[in-house]
Amino acid sequence: MANIPLLGLKSHSQRVCSLYKRALRNLEAYYDRRDVYRYQAVLLRDRFNSHAKETDMRKAVQLLEEGEQELFSVIHPIPRNFATSQGGVAYERVVTPPDWILDYWHPLEKAHYPEYFKRREQRKKEFVAMWEKEYGPADKKDEKH
Amino acid sequence: MAAAKIGRSALSGLFRKSTTYKTPVACRLSTVALRQKFNTVNVAFKTYSTPNLQNGVQSQRKQPFTCGTQSKPIEEIEERVLKVCKGYDKLSCAKLTVESHFMNDLGLDSLDHVEVIMAMEDEFGFEIPDGDAERLVRPKDIIQYIADKEDIYE
Repeated sequence: MANIPLLGLKSHSQRVCSLYKRALRNLEAYYDRRDVYRYQAVLLRDRFNSHAKETDMRKAVQLLEEGEQELFSVIHPIPRNFATSQGGVAYERVVTPPDWILDYWHPLEKAHYPEYFKRREQRKKEFVAMWEKEYGPADKKDEKH
Repeated sequence: MAAAKIGRSALSGLFRKSTTYKTPVACRLSTVALRQKFNTVNVAFKTYSTPNLQNGVQSQRKQPFTCGTQSKPIEEIEERVLKVCKGYDKLSCAKLTVESHFMNDLGLDSLDHVEVIMAMEDEFGFEIPDGDAERLVRPKDIIQYIADKEDIYE
């Protein structure tokens, strides 16, 4: 369990970078002229830079919270998104089924593609051999399925 | 026309024996005419339905319309990544290679790195999550990441 990273747990600098990125994207949503956006982006960068050397951690955390509050209050009602990211027009338009679905085909369905499935079985054996060569044979008690 | 003639010939075969010797000839001639007509129609159809012609007008567009990403060779990705890095104002004078580290070699700070990654997102048209972005500290890593995303391998 110790290997699993705790989701949502971020360092202070990661939070600042995330806030900076979201704030820039928010500016992009407001100013569609590139030169106007660049001007506003430079002003924003200056505001971030003015507190970059903050050594007092309490003050830094407070500044970050204020920044989050400010971004929340000025967030654009119709943000611009990339087509394939969440909120975009093509988000989850193409769903690629995972590879293991093929293992659960009915044998009659598999019989339509005999050559492919023969090669697939061969590849699976080779992959298991490669894995065991690198990491050693798997323990019986670790198997959960 | 031909069908009517065939029908008439069949019927006339039943009713009047005297005209039967003429009908096969007539039938044969009408079929030949029909085949020739069919061929010309077919040729005309082929010339007007080629992809370069739209409603009989020559189209300027050579590639089909696609909404997905087109596959790019890895050299093209490398070229574009380096172009975007050079476009960033703090890297325009720097000696940039594929192996150089953004923070250690080129002296960017983390906010600059965020801006570089955003420029990459704009160039390649998809979002790079924060967790992935902080690992992309060399142009080489970015190239590999984009190639993985777009399913390109050598």
